[in-house]
Order: sequence, then structure tokens, then C-alpha cells
Amino acid sequence: MKELCKLGGLLMLITTIAASALAGIYNVTKPRIEAQKALQLERALTIALPSAPREAIFPVQDEDVILYYVGYKTPEKKELIGYAFVSHGSGYSSVIETMVGVDTLGNILGMKVLNQVETPGLGTKVEEIRHGDDAPWFTQQFIARPAGQVAVDKDGGDIQSITGATISSRALTKSVVAAYEKLLADKAKPN
Amino acid sequence: MSVVREFTKGLYKQNPVFKQALGLCPTLAVSNSVESALGMGVAVTFVLLCSNSIISLIHKIVPAKIRIPIYIVVIATFVTIVDLSMAGFLPALHKTLGIFVPLIVVNCIILGRAEAFAGKNGIGLSIVDGLGMGIGFTIALLLLGTLREFMGNGSFMGIPVMNPGFEPVLIMILPPGAFLTIGFVLGFFNWLENKRAK
Repeated sequence: MKELCKLGGLLMLITTIAASALAGIYNVTKPRIEAQKALQLERALTIALPSAPREAIFPVQDEDVILYYVGYKTPEKKELIGYAFVSHGSGYSSVIETMVGVDTLGNILGMKVLNQVETPGLGTKVEEIRHGDDAPWFTQQFIARPAGQVAVDKDGGDIQSITGATISSRALTKSVVAAYEKLLADKAKPN
Repeated sequence: MSVVREFTKGLYKQNPVFKQALGLCPTLAVSNSVESALGMGVAVTFVLLCSNSIISLIHKIVPAKIRIPIYIVVIATFVTIVDLSMAGFLPALHKTLGIFVPLIVVNCIILGRAEAFAGKNGIGLSIVDGLGMGIGFTIALLLLGTLREFMGNGSFMGIPVMNPGFEPVLIMILPPGAFLTIGFVLGFFNWLENKRAK
């Protein structure tokens, strides 16, 4: 009994020290981790709606959930440029999240993949920037195409899918169509 | 003299991957590119260095009966520190390594060194041992990463090194390629060893 208390006590002491150390580290890194996420979103917004200044892009919320973003030419909400929204598609090994910007007619203005953990070297090519380019070639193909109708070549569309990563290419493409339809539904809802 | 020996043994003679065949899971999983191999190697070296030093300091007061849970708590603490810092400061690398960062906790090299070395030696030698083993692990990952990225993607650190006509062998950066590469590399070191023995 005495030994049990001694061993248990020592274990508790060690775990308490470890937990306090981790609490300290967590508090230091938490703001940085959140800042990184916010920065990623900011960058994606300016890529999705390239002609809208950042101050002229406003989130449209349903309570705490951001449904989509509206972009104008000026911060005074003059001249509507378009909308930006996040699409989610189940790829080969992860959910591919993409920020998509469309104009008022639904043609894609810009795209940026936010999150994906696809197969390295295959599915990760959705974010591959070819040598000499400044934007990923896969998502560049979507620009100026109607967001409600994009499809990969294997489904009869004209988006060239990535060699060896049909699932990832198709998942991303289909998620854009689905998210655009959701945008239309959300826009139709009275606020 | 023995300091040098404790350091260099991890590099080749007792290399954790090539000679002891320890920690193969992360070795196979993240050696598909040089960049992730390097990131993983540095993360493991850091954890190994910290856990070896703490364990060598506390092993005298730790009762043998509960040494394993205590070692695991120490290791898990450092792994979580690496995980959080990487998410905050190197988000891109953190995303690439994904689940394999938290899984460093169960990397048998780390508990292995705690049991085999840090639990029996002083802090000085334990640091040297951890550093040697960590660098040995990094070298192994880098070798596999270089071979696989070159064959499977025709690049080094993401920069293409082959002319555009080069058709990469995709399978080399997929899981089967990891097994193929490690098989040939281990075979090569065994052959080398056999040749030496003759």
C-alpha cells in the first residue's frame, strides 16, 4: 500500500510538471497558430477576388458561421465585383478545402487551395506551381469558367486532371460546383 | 575518446535505421521528399536530445517499476512542444508531416535510447548519444528522401534537376516505393558489411 502511494505520487508529480510546461508552451504558441490561420485566409481572399481591395471584402454570416464573402470595388460597397466561398471535397486521403471567387454571373475569378493532405507527389499537385509560373497550374485552369459547370476531362469537362490523381482532381472540381450551388441557395435566403 | 565513440556510433555503426532497423514507420512514411525527410529528422533529433537529457537526470530517482510511463510522459511532453511550435512557426512543414509529428511519441528509437542509454549514463554522454542517433536517423531519412524524390519526381528539394522530357517513376514516391527503396538500401549496407568481414 505504502509503495503504491509512493509510485502513484511520483507519477502524479511528473505528469503535473509536464502538464504545466505544456500549458505554458500552448499559451505562447496559440496566438501564433491562430495568426497563421488568419493570414492564410487573408491571402486566399485576395487571390479569389483579385480586383477587390481587402477592405472591400465583407463576410456574410449566419450567426457565427461565415456563409460567403462579398467583394466590392471600394470599401463603401460600391460596384459589386463578386463573391468568395469555401468549398469542401473529399479527396483521396483528406478533405480538400478551396477558396473560390466568382463574379456576379458565376464565372470564376480566382482560386486558392486552403487545406489538403493528399498523396505527396500526386494529389498534392493541386497546389503545384510549375517552374517559372507564379500560380498553381491546376487551379488556374478554372479561371473564367462558369463555377456551376466545371468538370474534369474524364467527366466530359475541360479541366485537365492531374496524372495519377484523378480522385483529387475530380473531388476539387465537384466541390466547386456544389459550393457554388450552395452560394446561390444562401444568396436567395432573406437575411 | 569515448565521447567521440558515443557520438559516431549512431551515424553508421549502430545507425538506428540501417543497422538497428528502428523507427521504420516514420522512415517509410515521410521519406518521399527531401524537405519532409529533413523536417522529420530535425524534429526527432530535438526530441531525442531533450528526452535523453531529462531521463539521464532523473533516472536515479525513478523506480524501475514505473520507469516506462515516466519516460513516455517525458517524451510526449517534448513531442507536443515540437508539434505546437511547428504549427506556429513552420505551418507549411507542419501540414506536410501531418500525423507523423504526434506519432514521434511512439518512435521506438526514442524510448529505445532512453532504456538502453540515457537510463544508465550521465547527462553529458546521453546528450552526445541522442545527438549522434538523431543525426544518424536524419541521414537515413535524407538518403531515402533524396533517392525517392529524384526517382519519383525528378527533383531535389522541390527543384527539378532533370530535363523536362524525364518521365518520373511515380511509384517511388508512393508507399510501395518506400519499401522498395529501404529494401535495396538495407541490402546494400548488409552486402558492404559482409564484404568487410571477409
